[in-house]
Amino acid sequence: MAMRTPLALAAAILAVGALLSFVLPEYHLRLMNLSVISAIAVIGLNFAFGYAGLISLGHAAFVGMGAYGVAILTTRYGWSPWLAMPMAIAATAVLAAVIGFPLLRLKGHYLALATLGLNVSFYIVASNWISLTGGTNGIARIPELHIAGQALPGERQFLWLGLVVLAVAAMVASILHASRYGRAMIAVRDDETAARMTGVDTTVVKISAFVLSAIYAAIAGCLFACHTRFVAPEDFTYAHSITYLAMLIVGGESSIVGAIFGSVLLTFLPEWLRFLGSAYLVFFGVLVLAILVFLPTGIVGLGRLARRPPRRPAAPAPVRVPEVGS
Amino acid sequence: MNVLEARGISKRYGGLAALSDIDLTVAKGQFVAIIGPNGAGKSTLLNVLTGLVMPDGGQVLLDGRVMTRAATYKRIRAGLGRTFQHGRTFARLTVLENVMIGAAIRRDLGEAALRDAAMAILEQTGLVAEANAAIGSLSYGRRRMVELARALACGPRILLLDEPAAGLNSGEVDQLVDRLSDLRAKRELAVVLIEHNMGMVMRLAERIFVLNFGCNIAEGTPSEIQTNPAVLSAYLGEGYVHAGV
Repeated sequence: MAMRTPLALAAAILAVGALLSFVLPEYHLRLMNLSVISAIAVIGLNFAFGYAGLISLGHAAFVGMGAYGVAILTTRYGWSPWLAMPMAIAATAVLAAVIGFPLLRLKGHYLALATLGLNVSFYIVASNWISLTGGTNGIARIPELHIAGQALPGERQFLWLGLVVLAVAAMVASILHASRYGRAMIAVRDDETAARMTGVDTTVVKISAFVLSAIYAAIAGCLFACHTRFVAPEDFTYAHSITYLAMLIVGGESSIVGAIFGSVLLTFLPEWLRFLGSAYLVFFGVLVLAILVFLPTGIVGLGRLARRPPRRPAAPAPVRVPEVGS
Repeated sequence: MNVLEARGISKRYGGLAALSDIDLTVAKGQFVAIIGPNGAGKSTLLNVLTGLVMPDGGQVLLDGRVMTRAATYKRIRAGLGRTFQHGRTFARLTVLENVMIGAAIRRDLGEAALRDAAMAILEQTGLVAEANAAIGSLSYGRRRMVELARALACGPRILLLDEPAAGLNSGEVDQLVDRLSDLRAKRELAVVLIEHNMGMVMRLAERIFVLNFGCNIAEGTPSEIQTNPAVLSAYLGEGYVHAGV
């Protein structure tokens, strides 16, 4: 497969992000960091929802597993964050596979409700297993990240790290999208029966998409824990899962660029609309509704609409030949 | 040697016997048709053969191997291919990508080789010009041809076609007949065809199985079937005259 698209995507992320890192004020840099972390999680969600069509309302639980993994290993066992992160990501992947195997026998609304239940269960466990998670007080004093012996001193430097991770995450996602695995995921969403009839092991494809999605979520969770240096159950509720889903839908499901746009937009939007106070939620609801109705392919759909060739006249209806017995 | 064999297949849905003790054998390179009125159990039989529906009794064998309970994808990897009655393509993929999904059954092929294999199939099926077209931009007949190309890309030795001529105009049916004859000659492909277009069936089939109310009421060559009183009474009609495609 040509590497041009993945490399161009990674380069664009790094270039635009680096440029913004020099012009944005400190507070907006913090928001950018949160956008980048969300974007990684949402690119992951795109595997499950955008490609394979698995409606997941429990994505924040996997972000939480990654974040808590780093928090617990670093604060209780004294691990370096660099060692804790791969361990937390691997543990989340294993958990996702174990949970996914029975869960992915469900479809549609049932799967959505089951994943919602997963997120609620995660919140309850994180809030009540006080000896491990600190309960609702969470875990503080997560050590800061060091690179070459130097601590990342501020938001700008953390953003550079986040951008590199996002660029790699987007590049890998882009390569997968154009591979036999990406096509198999899309086929499963389009028509699961036809996919089976084309030799696709749909169970494996669905579990792979779910686990891949959880791995991206865990990476985002690790970065979140190292960025805020504090984790609490409130950061990983089902409302966060719905926000991730909204980011993907607003940006454009099945699109990596859309996942990034949606994450940035919905992270900054509350700040831009701060003057609306609580009415922001009304605006947010109307925005999502409007996009679902008028722009089902999300923000990236605007670009596709602009590139679309003029509509051709409709093809004539097929003429049926005489049949016997029908 | 039979490439496909069904022995005593039975399937009930509550009080309805969809299939009762059905036997079917298909030899290498043989063209077999299954005909019968709507609701006779033809598509249910294909669903049982492909593993979409599990039978209550009986056995399905591919190349002599019992595959009665095997998952669908395993049967496809063992040499079975199928198209559906209403044409099922992957709408978010291009024509080429649809066919590449089928070609991906060969795990040893890299991305470039997969593309080449898919392009070769598109050439055989006359779809090269539409390789990069979105599925939604194709006519119904072309979409069905994409589905056939995708099934062929899996490299089947037995191809099950569920009413491939439904919804096609007479020109497209002629094209389909030519393609199937050509493919069969070149690939030694065994074909099981379900079809209501009797002209097409009589032109292509070497052997015909007739189902009615889930039972096999007749089996024979096209000339035998066209004169079989039970078939004329249950399906073709007493005044049936073979009119060609």
